[in-house]
Amino acid sequence: MIVRSTVNRARPTIPFADGDAADTGPSVVGRRAGPPRWLLLAPRFLTLVVLALLFLLPIYWMVSTSLKSEAATVAQPVQWWPHEPTLENYRTILESPNAPFLRWAWNSLFSSSAFALGSVVLAVLTAYPLSRMRFRGRDTWFWVILSSMMIPGVIFLIPHYLMMIRFDWIDTYHALIWPGLPAAFGVFLMRQFFVSIPREIEEAARLDGANSLQILVRILLPFLTAPMATLALFQFMASWNNYVWPLFVVHGDMQTLPVAITSFSSRYWTAYGKLMAGTAIASIPILIAFLFAQRYFIRGMSLTGLKDE
Amino acid sequence: MATETARPKRGRHRSPSGPAWVPYLYLLPHAVLFLVFIVYPIGFGLWVSLHRWNILSDVQRFVGLDFYLRLVTPGSPQFTFFWKTMGNTALFTVLSVPALIFSALGLALLLEKPIAGRSVFRAIFFLPTILAVSVMGLLWRWMFENRTGLVNILLDLVPFTQQFPFLTNVGWAWIPIVVGTIWWTVGFNMILYGAALAAIPRVYYEAAAIDGAGAWARFRHITWPQLNPVTLFALVTTTIGSFQLFGQSHVITAGGPLRTTQSVMMYITEEAFTNFQFSSAAAMSVLFGLLLLLVTGVQFRLTLRDLGRGVR
Repeated sequence: MIVRSTVNRARPTIPFADGDAADTGPSVVGRRAGPPRWLLLAPRFLTLVVLALLFLLPIYWMVSTSLKSEAATVAQPVQWWPHEPTLENYRTILESPNAPFLRWAWNSLFSSSAFALGSVVLAVLTAYPLSRMRFRGRDTWFWVILSSMMIPGVIFLIPHYLMMIRFDWIDTYHALIWPGLPAAFGVFLMRQFFVSIPREIEEAARLDGANSLQILVRILLPFLTAPMATLALFQFMASWNNYVWPLFVVHGDMQTLPVAITSFSSRYWTAYGKLMAGTAIASIPILIAFLFAQRYFIRGMSLTGLKDE
Repeated sequence: MATETARPKRGRHRSPSGPAWVPYLYLLPHAVLFLVFIVYPIGFGLWVSLHRWNILSDVQRFVGLDFYLRLVTPGSPQFTFFWKTMGNTALFTVLSVPALIFSALGLALLLEKPIAGRSVFRAIFFLPTILAVSVMGLLWRWMFENRTGLVNILLDLVPFTQQFPFLTNVGWAWIPIVVGTIWWTVGFNMILYGAALAAIPRVYYEAAAIDGAGAWARFRHITWPQLNPVTLFALVTTTIGSFQLFGQSHVITAGGPLRTTQSVMMYITEEAFTNFQFSSAAAMSVLFGLLLLLVTGVQFRLTLRDLGRGVR
């Protein structure tokens, strides 16, 4: 998948985008006579609008509910928008002594950033010799790493947990960061990009007597900033959204934000005003990031294929 | 593999990468973590499953295949719940995978040709995929809440439909989970299909247009066959993802009612972290992992095929 998408990216992904597609596109038939183009497109456009509104509905409903008093969330008839919008729910949960939202947010931010950074550094250091150096056992080791991608995650759950107990890492950031770091995915991805850099580029530097680390940092890394950023974003999101593992290895104040909002939900089981305020706090930073960087999110996804957790 | 460089010549190391040990030095940090967190746990997990792991004891008693035998012996609670939750998970997979493939293809086709606001639509359909499963779960639990949820409010307003307690009804509780999952993950496959559609050479369509092929014929004989590799890839990855169902059930229904939406992953974690039967849970993980391996094996071969094709 990775390679195919990379190839797609190299040529314009959307041929004739926003141009006159009818010249070459499938709609060449019926171009000469018949209704104007906008009329042909109208049903499709309307379908898309309806679907888009349906997709946005749960998010609208989350924000809307979070701004209502608890009585208003279940009021009959339903309030399609908050009649008396209030930030009371947000204040209640942020001031609640047993719901340290800022601490949870920090836990998520710190562990996800450390995980993303660590993944990128490890992937670069490992992919570099595997793609651009010659040494005994290179291909074998690459195969070993690659094969580990095949192993279903469930195999690691119990042994990792018992290891965390033995390391005394339960309820620490270590448990959130280290076990996932050696996953093959990052190595695999970075190697694809290392391979795509022409070899001649480093020859000159080598003749000047640069060592391998200088070549990596000064010559190769500038070519790899975009893939590194994509990998970092992807790993950050994967760690931020991770659910099963943090659910069991960190508790109380040490929980990550997405996990914490569900344990928090067991306290406010049907107090949906507060639940939706908590959900909004946990998701709005990510939604805003997506708004500004959606190109990179989508590119990262098509670059990586569907990565199963 | 690695066709871009000549094979190393034994016995004569070239200086470009410095002393012979340099490459190994780069590999070392990852290799250490790889051994500790990937290689070792595989063996350790098997070892745990063959012993009766007692978290408080220093010495663990060897029990052989006992915990595996329980999983194939009718009558034991582990047998009952493991296969019941396995069945639940399979049902979820059957319900969700076709929907996730065809609705993704539908969205990608709607967005195939340029249309006003195309990138906005694409971003909107993709947007839910960036949310955490807990966020998605709480949203859809609220949407489907008995009586006060938006879905039930709408059912009340629309003629000929009436409110229905989805969350607490055996069978129907899958609807919030499946609908939520489609909303949450359809964007992945849509992007995959979008890239694949854009890569289909236009000349095929031009030739078909000259032959007078209609829209359906063009889809049936050009688009669909051209999409075959992506469909296979999406099918395999979505199946793997669906089999690992956990968060959606955990948040939306907590596995209820009567464990009917409890997934096998949920049961394994219950056995380990609620019942503290780590060895039993490890045995289930191994068995479930082996079943998943059959599917990931296909995925692995597909990835390798791509790799072989793409690398010069």
